[in-house]
Amino acid sequence: MQEPGFGSLTRRRFLEGSLGGALALSLSHLDFAVRPASAAGEKVRSGVDYQDFQDIYREEWKWDHVAKGTHFVNCWYQRGCNWNVYVKDGIVWREEQSGTYPQVKSDVPDYNPRGCQKGACYSQRMYDDSRVRYPMKRVGERGSGKWKRVTWEEALRDIVDKTIDVLETDGPEAVVWDQGTAQTTGCAGLGLSRLSSVLDMPVFDENCEIGDHRPGTAITCGKISFCSSADDVFYSDLILIWGGNPIYTQIPQAHFLTEARYNGARVVCIAPDYSASSVHADDWVPVKVASDAALGLSMAQVMIEEKIYNAQFVREQTDLPLLVREDTGHFLRESDLERGGDEDTFYVFDEQRGEIIEAPKRTLAWGDRVPALEGHFAAKGVEGPIRVTPVFARLREHLQNYTPEKAQATTGTHPETVRELARALANAKAATCITQSNFSKFYHGIEMERAQILVFALAGQMGHKGAGFIGFPYLHIDSVDMLGGASGSMAPHWAVRAMSLKAAPAFIKGTLGGLTREMVIYELAREEHKKRKFPSSILWLYKYGGLKEFYGGSQQWDPHMKRPLDQYLAEAEEKGWQTLPQTPPRILFEDGGNMLRRIRGYQKLLDELFPKLDLVVTIDWRMSNTALHSDYVLPAAGWYEKDDITWATPLSPFSQVITKAVEPWAESKSDWEIHCLFMKTLQQRAVERGVLTYNGIDGEEKRLDDVYDQYTFGRRYTENNTEEFLDEILRLSSNVGGARWSDVKEKGFARFTDIGNGYLSHENAMDVDLDDTMTACTWHTEKKQPWPTLTRRIQFCIDHPFYNELGETLPVHKDDPNISGDYPLKLTGGHTRWSIHASWRDEKNMLRLTRGEPVAFISVEDADARGIGDGDRIRVFNDIASTELVAKVTPAHSPGMVTIYHAWEPFQFKGRTSHAALTPNPINPVQLAGGYVHLQPRGAVCSPGSTDRATRIEMERVA
Amino acid sequence: MGFDPIGRSKNGEVTGPERQLAMVFDLNKCLGCHTCSMACKTQWTRDEGMESMWWTVVNTMPGRGTPKDWETSGGGFDEAGTARAGRLPTREEFGEAWKFNHDEVLGGNGKPDAHLAPKGDPKWGPNWDEDQGDGEFPNSYFFYLPRICNHCTHPACLEACPRGAIKKRAQDGVVLIDEEDCRGYRFCMEACPYKRIYFNAAKAASQKCIFCYPRLEKGVAPACARQCPGRMRHVGFLDDEQSSVHKLVRKFKVALPLHPEFGTQPNVYYIPPFAPPPLNEDGSANRNGSRIPLDYLRGLFGKRVDEALATIEAEIQKRRDGEKSELLDTLIVYSWPQDIFPDFDGDPSLL
Repeated sequence: MQEPGFGSLTRRRFLEGSLGGALALSLSHLDFAVRPASAAGEKVRSGVDYQDFQDIYREEWKWDHVAKGTHFVNCWYQRGCNWNVYVKDGIVWREEQSGTYPQVKSDVPDYNPRGCQKGACYSQRMYDDSRVRYPMKRVGERGSGKWKRVTWEEALRDIVDKTIDVLETDGPEAVVWDQGTAQTTGCAGLGLSRLSSVLDMPVFDENCEIGDHRPGTAITCGKISFCSSADDVFYSDLILIWGGNPIYTQIPQAHFLTEARYNGARVVCIAPDYSASSVHADDWVPVKVASDAALGLSMAQVMIEEKIYNAQFVREQTDLPLLVREDTGHFLRESDLERGGDEDTFYVFDEQRGEIIEAPKRTLAWGDRVPALEGHFAAKGVEGPIRVTPVFARLREHLQNYTPEKAQATTGTHPETVRELARALANAKAATCITQSNFSKFYHGIEMERAQILVFALAGQMGHKGAGFIGFPYLHIDSVDMLGGASGSMAPHWAVRAMSLKAAPAFIKGTLGGLTREMVIYELAREEHKKRKFPSSILWLYKYGGLKEFYGGSQQWDPHMKRPLDQYLAEAEEKGWQTLPQTPPRILFEDGGNMLRRIRGYQKLLDELFPKLDLVVTIDWRMSNTALHSDYVLPAAGWYEKDDITWATPLSPFSQVITKAVEPWAESKSDWEIHCLFMKTLQQRAVERGVLTYNGIDGEEKRLDDVYDQYTFGRRYTENNTEEFLDEILRLSSNVGGARWSDVKEKGFARFTDIGNGYLSHENAMDVDLDDTMTACTWHTEKKQPWPTLTRRIQFCIDHPFYNELGETLPVHKDDPNISGDYPLKLTGGHTRWSIHASWRDEKNMLRLTRGEPVAFISVEDADARGIGDGDRIRVFNDIASTELVAKVTPAHSPGMVTIYHAWEPFQFKGRTSHAALTPNPINPVQLAGGYVHLQPRGAVCSPGSTDRATRIEMERVA
Repeated sequence: MGFDPIGRSKNGEVTGPERQLAMVFDLNKCLGCHTCSMACKTQWTRDEGMESMWWTVVNTMPGRGTPKDWETSGGGFDEAGTARAGRLPTREEFGEAWKFNHDEVLGGNGKPDAHLAPKGDPKWGPNWDEDQGDGEFPNSYFFYLPRICNHCTHPACLEACPRGAIKKRAQDGVVLIDEEDCRGYRFCMEACPYKRIYFNAAKAASQKCIFCYPRLEKGVAPACARQCPGRMRHVGFLDDEQSSVHKLVRKFKVALPLHPEFGTQPNVYYIPPFAPPPLNEDGSANRNGSRIPLDYLRGLFGKRVDEALATIEAEIQKRRDGEKSELLDTLIVYSWPQDIFPDFDGDPSLL
């Protein structure tokens, strides 16, 4: 109907420039008079009276030039929006979404104009009072707020000299780097990963500590990062918002949800409170906090009881047909049947031929075999007959504990609602979910995720258009993984080729041995994880951060534990299941993150860790709470002041860039330049001081006098030619269709053409069709490629000793423990509408559009019982700590639950104690499991995570 | 400047513009994210005297809104077309642009014990009652209502200005305050029943949403609409049969004015909100009930709201049965910006 494109003047543009109504009318007679494209640039605005009062605003809407940009803060699920940055008089005047994403398919809504209110005010944020403009050195006590402006040279020389001292005495493991929202898949991210690789200094693997590690997904699917594109929901007819709040946290793509609903999809929001996402649902199913596992298991019970599960999917894709021993509940393995038999060969009972057969390893397809889901069989064991039965049969019996009637006491959900939901899921043509990293943050969140995946698997709602349980979203240009660790002794393309050659034998051996390519990638990552260069921050904090008492205090709250956490951890370490750091820290670099806001129980760091540190350096564009407690604060350039490439997610499958719209403000520098200058100064001072070598993390001698040369690939890519480096990064990437820097700089993004070979991105297991939406995990469902688990199937039976000991071999519900004391209220959280982490938490517009200070959402019932009114100051407390904030009393909130949304800075609370101080975050021992193929930790998964949700609290009005 | 007849009532007849622009806000797509508010803020209201202005703002309904209690502050016209008395909202009711003590907390010579807080102990703000709503748990309810100047067909502000400093443009019906002519009497603020006019103390002039006319004149949609990630703001001429605005207001009659009884004939229309069914005492869903009381919706959008909701509901059922629906296709917006503001699909960065 409409003429496409902006290049031609269409009939709909007749109003342009015309002021007089009569003229507008006469122009309207130019209907369909499409002018040549070249004329569009020279618009004659006849009829504008420049003496008119209306000129005031016409004059305001002017700018000097426009550049592409985005915000490479970690918005995660909603990240990646293409903005135009309008510059006037050398400063950024404002930003506006480009709105230039191509439509993927004519019958599916497009992605425009992705963005949110936070991105829409970065132009103001970057110039406000929080901005760090100069290198600053602390002159008073740490945290006293007394600073002195210093030069970059002074700061770098002092920081580097202290670093060299520590390298000499303690080695590189004593110099730790915390990463954060500054990480990119361009030069800022490579800046840190190459630094770690060249210097052997550890960078925290904080994905688990943050609670984004999706532990239940990891143990069930063998991976976490699989996610369809956001527009794929347009093909869904049932969408469960379950463990997420997309109306707050997926603002740029939430329209696909509301539009899918207009397309006939039914949206069901499962949440304890009447959330902003419930507002746009067809049904809201309230559940009690932390009861989602029971809800899922009761749905599973219904599906099996009513025989509405998808038997074909269950047989093919899951471990449910595999046989388990009736005596132990463990899988029947080859080692049970033969002396010297292996531990990863499993069996089913073939109904067709009435015999026990080996489950194939290289494919999920059964051919003409039909594995039994029910029955009792006898296997010929080495020591006599073994009674066996399929996991499915065992699960069915186990689920009798979770009939909707029984589960109701736990969930508060009406049995008919559960039945109806189970039937809807089983009968949907294509059902999916919006599930974010919420359940990961519960002490028993692992079970919540297992139960969710179980219902999706029983319903066969995985890996077809519009359908699927949605994991953690991640997608990036794939050269950066290799470039991070590539040798600097040669040009990057040679270095990358050399790395590929080095890894080739592992791939050849692995794939010949029956592993899939993704299994080999994860196996290599497990080996890499043991090298201590990417340590679990939770375990590091446990050992060195003063948090042993909190993180290790699990047994005092968890009634299922028969021995202390320390014992589990000692066993895990001894058996090589978990890797702990070996050197106490001396220097901490906060590289764009914010540990003193983020860490649950962060107050312990100030009390116990910081006094032991010789040096704390923060690199950031804003004064964070960690910056306030640092010895040096180095000013990073703002997001519109540097060139870089950001990582993305399949939800919005476009690799975005930021470009230098304006010069870095004051004395700030790009992250890449800061890292380069650190390395340059390090090499220079090493030579000057004659410290030519040091011992690496593995004890081997390393050179210190060539670190800048190594870092910059022989000075090929340095602080002076960032754009050339970005171009090289793109050139070496296989999955953005050959895009080059000059293209993306103009366009702002490049569409992913493939998931690529990158770690985590590869987990998406799907092909990319540029003319279609993207559906995750189709390699498994369509190509029958095995899942990367021990059993090579979506695995619900985990017969690991820790799981057996703690009664979690099959998915269960466990009541959430009384973490931090016997108090009546449960503290929950979630990402906020108003900030991405703390980056906008103290931004004036975001504060003016809320209450201006931290609030706790509380129910009317709980408020009334305590004499608390809306707007009152309240004290929230437990055995661990106490904090003060403002009560926001709302009937939308569930009684018994108190919600404090994410990422208030401690300096926004009286006494500078935030709610993060109330959460001791005890480690759940099952998360220490390892030595079981896919349970063994690798980067970002399978080390212990956070457990702050449902911490017990009480509150009172502050007089 | 003289008194332009457009938008004025004479002998009970209001002189209309040659064409009228309108917006349709789809409340079933509003995310409450305030990207519109920010877009407008950085576009127009950043100068001195404008800090506390939010020409477009999103209110959680039910709620007391912006300014506080605007719905009961009077103004507009009664059924006979006679002006109703209105109240002048205070700065506090709109919400001040609170200042913060960043210098104390983050500054080079900071106070280690101070914490960041708004100065002046605010008691109200433009989005103070966000996500609170009404009802009794679990039958709580709320929804989002974005609000701008309604660019009314019969603007009470225009009639109230003794200087004739408020004009309604002939070519598009956009209502503008001539800020050079305005003397800051603020009768317009009293008269506007939607209380969408602010007072700029630095300029001693009233200011409000200008429908981004400089953008319109270049074929670019207003900032609030073009930047809306929820894609819920349709813009177009009411008489353009191809525009989504025309279809939703005139053809399908599912877009309704807010508080039509205020008598000013607004040109912003709303697709009324659906909500999940309420729950019975035992926790099961009550599929015959309405979570948002229908009377509440009728109070906001008039009696036609029942019909509008029924129309959309029937179309969704059709869609579920595999049929086509032009109405739903219009609400969905497949191809942005052509499908949502066809006359204003220009890319501002290319100007």
